[in-house]
Amino acid sequence: MAVNWAQVLFNSVVTGSLYLIGAVGLTLTYGLSGFPNFAHAEFMTLGAFIGYFVAEGLGLPAALAIAFLITGIIGFLCYRGIFQPLARRGASIIHLMVASIALGFILRHSINAIWSQSPYYFTATWPSYTIGPVVTSSLRVWLILIAIALSIIMHLVLVKTKIGKAIRASASNPELALASGINVDRVIWITWFIGAGLAAVAGVFRGAGTLVNPMTGWDIILPVFAVAILGGIGNYYGAIAAAFIIGLAENFGVVALRTIGLSTEYRAAIAFLILIITLIVKPQGLAMLFRRA
Amino acid sequence: MLSYFLDFLVFVGIFGIVSLSLNLEFGFAGLANFGKVAFFLIGAYTYALLSQTGLPFYLCLIAGALISAIFGLLISLPALRLRADYLAIAVLAFGEILRLVVRAENIGGWRGMGHIASIFPWMGSSLIYRLENMGLVSICLLICFVVAQLLANSPYGRAMRAIREDEVAAEALGKNRARYKAQVFMLGSAMAGVAGGLYAQYLQCIIPGMFMPMITFTVWIMVLLGGPANNWGALLGAGLVELFDRGANMAKDYLTLPIDPSNLQYILFGALIIFVLLYRPQGLLKESPIKTKALEATRYARSAIKNKGS
Repeated sequence: MAVNWAQVLFNSVVTGSLYLIGAVGLTLTYGLSGFPNFAHAEFMTLGAFIGYFVAEGLGLPAALAIAFLITGIIGFLCYRGIFQPLARRGASIIHLMVASIALGFILRHSINAIWSQSPYYFTATWPSYTIGPVVTSSLRVWLILIAIALSIIMHLVLVKTKIGKAIRASASNPELALASGINVDRVIWITWFIGAGLAAVAGVFRGAGTLVNPMTGWDIILPVFAVAILGGIGNYYGAIAAAFIIGLAENFGVVALRTIGLSTEYRAAIAFLILIITLIVKPQGLAMLFRRA
Repeated sequence: MLSYFLDFLVFVGIFGIVSLSLNLEFGFAGLANFGKVAFFLIGAYTYALLSQTGLPFYLCLIAGALISAIFGLLISLPALRLRADYLAIAVLAFGEILRLVVRAENIGGWRGMGHIASIFPWMGSSLIYRLENMGLVSICLLICFVVAQLLANSPYGRAMRAIREDEVAAEALGKNRARYKAQVFMLGSAMAGVAGGLYAQYLQCIIPGMFMPMITFTVWIMVLLGGPANNWGALLGAGLVELFDRGANMAKDYLTLPIDPSNLQYILFGALIIFVLLYRPQGLLKESPIKTKALEATRYARSAIKNKGS
């Protein structure tokens, strides 16, 4: 069986872009609030549903923007309504994680109740292009462009702007940030808004590429967590590198699985393996390489 | 009706065992096992596969517990030395992968396995069948409860609580935290494995879709609602959650609600758990005080002195 390696490489970039957009919000909120938000999966699902309904009338760009805004606001409200009061009462990290799973179930089953279980498919068709040996579609080009734009914008925000500096300061030392006059609460709110919004953007792309149902987000939560941990929690630059490493590992892994005759359903196990190996070998992830970030 | 009630009791018993095992891990030792369902699945599939070979049923159950314990040890070793959140993510992911593997591999696939040999021959009446199962489950539950209760009040249990409260202090007093955690995790996984085996033999068929993360979450509700670090609380929680579950299923037939009751049930579960965490983090029953002979002797001596003085 001949393998089109250029196509596999391109697919890896596509997968990596999706995971990057999904993981940036997770890693930032994880680093800042100190617990992994399992409801991140449901933020993606919510984004996919909102994106689906908006895209039917207004097209993809509007779908991305509206999904980002609405889910961002919901993410902010969830933090403000559930996690902030819990943290104020001195809840342990385990309690916060359980609460995030509980929130995930509330969101997933509310979505299920409102829009039902049956999958939706984006009706828009994405024209496909052939560039040399690689076949691609406009959706995938959009995805890669948005991931690149996001990388640059987030870099500029984190390095150049006041709010970016405040985010980094609050993540590395909240007490010192507070003493320096940074409103840490507000920084966390903004991060949750951005994080949930970006999760929604990832959800729209995932939904447009496959299908939209209440499990859309949960299906890719494992690689997204693997990206956040491999990249080093709270480390934005580590997440970029990790997203593409996992994208490459998954796409080349699928080729390897086919070659040795195993079911390609094991694709999800690849991210899991990387997750476990990271935890054993270097729990701080790639953060070592990006110490200044 | 009686038969339905017996079915309910069997479920309470099976999930009571899982709830006790999570209580050992989370309540006493402070371990966040977010993949309880993985060990439940291992027990169920081990029972289902081994019972085909004609092994006696108790060996199948014990094998399920052992294999589950070994997996518990393997998965916990890399993560136990790290923070609680890493363990949670690793074990949650493990459960998802395991479900994927049993679905992809040639052990029933997504259709699962049927015709699992039950311990009790069919006597032509579901009432008798359920009564027999209730007896078996009760015995297993009793053994697990006694083990958990003895452990909680032993020096070992006090070391577990000490590690939960302050790892560094416990380590400074010579308690090897990684070893304690790994042992508790193994024991908890073994109990979940037994429960899985009982589940498989009672239902006589298992499908991968039965082992969704929802099961783990339900067990967490049982422990958090009943009261962590209290074995009676774990049982109470199991009873209440199962009751709620049955109630919602019955309501489906009698009520017409604007939203699907099974969705409503999960939404309410989620809201309930957030409510409990916010307003009553210690659960319905508080942590049981430690009972030791030395403590009782002091209490007795104190009251004796008081009586003499008056």
